[in-house]
Amino acid sequence: MIYAILRRFGQMLFVMFGISVIVFLIFFATPGADPAARIAGRNASPEVLEAVRHNFGFDRPLYVQYAKMMEKIFVTGDLTSFVNRGWKVVPAVMDSIPVTLSLVFGAAILWVVVSIIIGIVAAATRDSWLDKLLMALGLLGISMPVYWLGEVMNLITQSRYHDSWAFSWVPPLGYKNFSDDPKGWFLTLIIPWITLAILYIGIYGRVLRAAIIESLQEDFIRTARAKGLSETRILLRHALRTSLIAFVTLFGLDFGALVGGSALLTEVVFGLHGIGKLTYDALQNLDLPMIMATVMYASMFVVIANAVVDFVYILLDPRLRTS
Amino acid sequence: MSNQAVAMPRKTRGPWSVAFAKLARDRAAMASLAVFLLIVLACLSAPLYAKWAGVDPFASTLDAVIQIDGADVPVMEQSTEGLGLGYTPLGPTWRLGNYFLGADSQGRDVMARMLYGGLSSLLISGAATIFTLIIGTAAGLIAGYFGGITDTVLSRLLDVLWAFPIYLLAISLSIVTIAQGIRIGPIDIESGSLWLPVIIIGIVYVPYVARPIRGQVLSLRHSEFVLAAINLGVPGWRILWRDILPNITTTLIVFVPLMMALNMLTESALSFLSIGVQPPAASWGTIIQDGQALLYTRPLVALVPGLAIAVSVMALNVFGDGLRDALDPRSKVRLGRD
Amino acid sequence: MKKLLLAASAAALLAGTWLAPAQAEYLKEHRGGTIRLLARSAAGTLDPHINYTDQGWQMYQPIYDGLVAFRKAEGMDGFTIVPDLAAALPQASNDGKTFTFKLRKGIKFSNGQEMGVKDVVASFQRIFKVSGPTSGTFYAGIVGADKCLADTKNCTLEGGVVGDEAAGTITLNLTKPDAEILYKLALPHAVVLPADTPAEDMGSKPIPSTGAYMISAFDPNKGMTVSRNPNFKQWSEEAQPDGYPDVVQYDFGLSEEAAVTAIQNGEADWMFDALPSDRLGELGSKSMDQLHISPLSAWWYAPLNNRLAPFDNEKARQAVAYAIDRNTLVKLFGGKVLASPVCQVLPPDFPGHEDYCPFTKNPGTKWSAPDLDKAKQLVEESGTKGQKVTIIVEDTAISRSIGVYLQSVLTTIGYVADVKPISSNIQFTYIQNTNNKVQMSVTQWYKDYPAASDFLNILFSCASFREGSDASINIAGFCDKDIDAKMQKALDLGVTDQKAADKMWAEIDKQVTDKAPAVGLFTPKRLDFVSKRVGNFKFNRQFNWMITQSWVQ
Repeated sequence: MIYAILRRFGQMLFVMFGISVIVFLIFFATPGADPAARIAGRNASPEVLEAVRHNFGFDRPLYVQYAKMMEKIFVTGDLTSFVNRGWKVVPAVMDSIPVTLSLVFGAAILWVVVSIIIGIVAAATRDSWLDKLLMALGLLGISMPVYWLGEVMNLITQSRYHDSWAFSWVPPLGYKNFSDDPKGWFLTLIIPWITLAILYIGIYGRVLRAAIIESLQEDFIRTARAKGLSETRILLRHALRTSLIAFVTLFGLDFGALVGGSALLTEVVFGLHGIGKLTYDALQNLDLPMIMATVMYASMFVVIANAVVDFVYILLDPRLRTS
Repeated sequence: MSNQAVAMPRKTRGPWSVAFAKLARDRAAMASLAVFLLIVLACLSAPLYAKWAGVDPFASTLDAVIQIDGADVPVMEQSTEGLGLGYTPLGPTWRLGNYFLGADSQGRDVMARMLYGGLSSLLISGAATIFTLIIGTAAGLIAGYFGGITDTVLSRLLDVLWAFPIYLLAISLSIVTIAQGIRIGPIDIESGSLWLPVIIIGIVYVPYVARPIRGQVLSLRHSEFVLAAINLGVPGWRILWRDILPNITTTLIVFVPLMMALNMLTESALSFLSIGVQPPAASWGTIIQDGQALLYTRPLVALVPGLAIAVSVMALNVFGDGLRDALDPRSKVRLGRD
Repeated sequence: MKKLLLAASAAALLAGTWLAPAQAEYLKEHRGGTIRLLARSAAGTLDPHINYTDQGWQMYQPIYDGLVAFRKAEGMDGFTIVPDLAAALPQASNDGKTFTFKLRKGIKFSNGQEMGVKDVVASFQRIFKVSGPTSGTFYAGIVGADKCLADTKNCTLEGGVVGDEAAGTITLNLTKPDAEILYKLALPHAVVLPADTPAEDMGSKPIPSTGAYMISAFDPNKGMTVSRNPNFKQWSEEAQPDGYPDVVQYDFGLSEEAAVTAIQNGEADWMFDALPSDRLGELGSKSMDQLHISPLSAWWYAPLNNRLAPFDNEKARQAVAYAIDRNTLVKLFGGKVLASPVCQVLPPDFPGHEDYCPFTKNPGTKWSAPDLDKAKQLVEESGTKGQKVTIIVEDTAISRSIGVYLQSVLTTIGYVADVKPISSNIQFTYIQNTNNKVQMSVTQWYKDYPAASDFLNILFSCASFREGSDASINIAGFCDKDIDAKMQKALDLGVTDQKAADKMWAEIDKQVTDKAPAVGLFTPKRLDFVSKRVGNFKFNRQFNWMITQSWVQ
């Protein structure tokens, strides 16, 4: 047990090391990304350029710069941005986590509840028009590019129909702190929650439906039916439990990735300064310290989520516990 | 009279023909395939459409003037109210061959660009799918079959690739290659070539394919017929090629439409971020990007490519489902389409 | 130089007395409230000695002060230098190499510290200690600057900036006369900060200030709060006037479309970034009185690499200059109201500007139409027909569309052209570095201060070209020894006779334009969109809208 956990931990370290090295190398291989001139300012004289280069340590060999950067992120925690000088990167990442969590948690609750309902209803009314309609809607949700959907939502709620009774409650774009303004926080996030959830409702509805239908073919369900249990009871108590396994594992992976910042396009479109937007801005600005911090954070989450999911999978599926 | 036909042993239908017959009965899947093929056909006819309409969808033509019902209509209309700020492109004329969907901010015919754009999007997604499948399968096969150190190294590499945030990978690779192209030994890909988005999207999804394949190969490796072959002394690569590969073909086939759908969405996101197809070439993603700047005046320019992507992706998904139902042996348990 | 100073002081006196009554009345009526500004992102560092952005410089105006300042007035008046922390404009002595400033007394920093001679001296040294972007260019003429540039940590500027505590004066010594030194001292790079400010980039930590306002909070991801300086007592209305709003709340992160919608809905008062082109029509007709169009001293231009094929050939460069339809570019930018075509380097209304346009159908003073035939002919004559050209542009909607159009034009006249948009954050340094072999690009240049040399000398002198460096602002790589010598003569002449010098600059402008090292595209105007409640909008030619001189209630 301990050995398995240690092994997983070692894996995580390896992955994060690999990613950080790749990011570092890509950055320095990018032409025009040399931060010295951008930091020094336009039309800087050669002396100023040299002074900046020396102050920031850009004249040291790459592996030294890498080591210093890793030290600044993990040991001293005072790595500062190249673009917004003096801005500590690690606290900035920490600050933006609540925003992403608000977005992702809310959307997750929404999509889990709705997709479970859809999955059950679709499986129960298999092959009926309702089933087909639900699956088609779910498919539509998967097929729309999320950034496009977000822009369309904005077009409708912020501009075209903003004054109508339907959308006049929609507040201006931008995040509001929960501690300052709970009602504003909630209202601001409703449209982003829906936008993000639509994609996942589609996926999870279909996955659950397929899993339920499959488990309804299993032997132990036939036994339950033979025992005389009602269809509803079979569906909800027995089939659902086994089908949730696939659901939960998939959910863990997606949720982990989202918390790590993969909802970046949604955050950008709605003006929410979460970790995704931070990553996006850092990439656009070629701000290596910020890129490094956000990437470390994101990969850490993905690997942790993977490990947790594997663990939960073993817990949930009794068949695996014995192997 | 002995006119009865002698009972000949009837040829049994092989598993493939059973599967495809099943697929043919699946009306939703067939309809989706038809829709998708229709889209492909329309996009292939892009050069013809452009010629017929007399437009060059890649040249900026802000001063062009077209004829509608005998009247001269400029392609870019200057705002005349108030301060007279801004130019608005022509709205949809709903006349085939004559700026059907209107103009974009460079005065180009959106309909013609949609067709060419579809061609690019389909080409890139298709090529990326092939790329991913080849590399992912190879990785999965090797890791799953040979095990040991090879498996560990490959699996760790796949882990890194999997955990690497896709947008970061795509954006970084793009920034590095966009200006200069890639030059590795004999391979020289110029920047602006469509190969770059293909490779970027292809690489990102390799773990997506490699992991399930590896899992399947792992279980196949311990199956009796493979063990028998090993004991007989059949060389490794032969086993891979003759015994294992045919057994994962159905998984691969099912992957094709699903990966294409995923790749189309990814390509559009990358082009939207300016790191996929480069101007003035078109793809549905770049048209959405163009449309973003016109969202408030000419929303169609952003809406239509989004819908086109949604319809194509939907069609691919429905067909992919049908394919999986038809080919997956487990589906034999279910009678009829579920 | 002397004449300029005398004229400046006289005008200042007159203007100052005229402004007084109206402002006092308005202040009673409209003082107070919070004005809410939006920008896509923060403007980099908060440190005024380092920040080199329009966004930063605009916000510094009501916050920091230097020895002198640009008058807080509209129109050409806004280019006049007035005394700020100095009691009066200095008298030049020693053949224009020495300036003595008498410091005003009684001015406090926002942290309560008294502002004195030692702070001024320390601030000048700090310009070099923090390796400010212009320390090696604008302020390199100060005695002792060379030692400071070589060893920034121990910079003393000995002999260059001498403070006399007892007399309350600061003496500035230059190595040679500089006609533009007062302009340079009025820039944020030379403002006075407390002597104990650390000699390193202060980044996100606000530095105490002497102006009417101070920075009270800053988060580069969320926004900046600027509130009234409790220790401020107005000493000069034309240099540092009191402001109307109590608080300026500058929020970051919203996209341009979202910002426009926010201002329309009254949720914000102004946005820094350029308005998206698809909202222009709607705003131009429905919100006319909320729009303000003001001239800028700037140009959008396309540097051509004079040292790489095909543009090492002068005929090829001129062909491009003839072929470009600048009206189309104006359309892409938003229309005639927002931009005007240009052929030459110096922007309109700039000292030394005389209308000149050779690259048009009827060469003369103004551009009228492209001459495609002449362009094609020139391409043939140059022998560069059919060569490949790559245009590097920024990845913003407008730059991309301009790039796409230029690619179209080059293809028409006979080249094989393609365009590459690159992230705005690296494009500017990318196109400067000769290692990247950039043939053609699109970029802009906004004035630092109102002097012809700021365009011609900086962008086209041999000294501004550096091989293999990210900081080689002479992007075209243009170097003509004769023109260089002439520019030096003009600079020297400006010390004694600015008018004659401006005439020389006009000739240099024509000569440089004729050689077409870069192609002038258009000069933009600044479009400001404010909410309904904003009143008294005043635009200063040097630093744009004077934020705190407008009221919200």
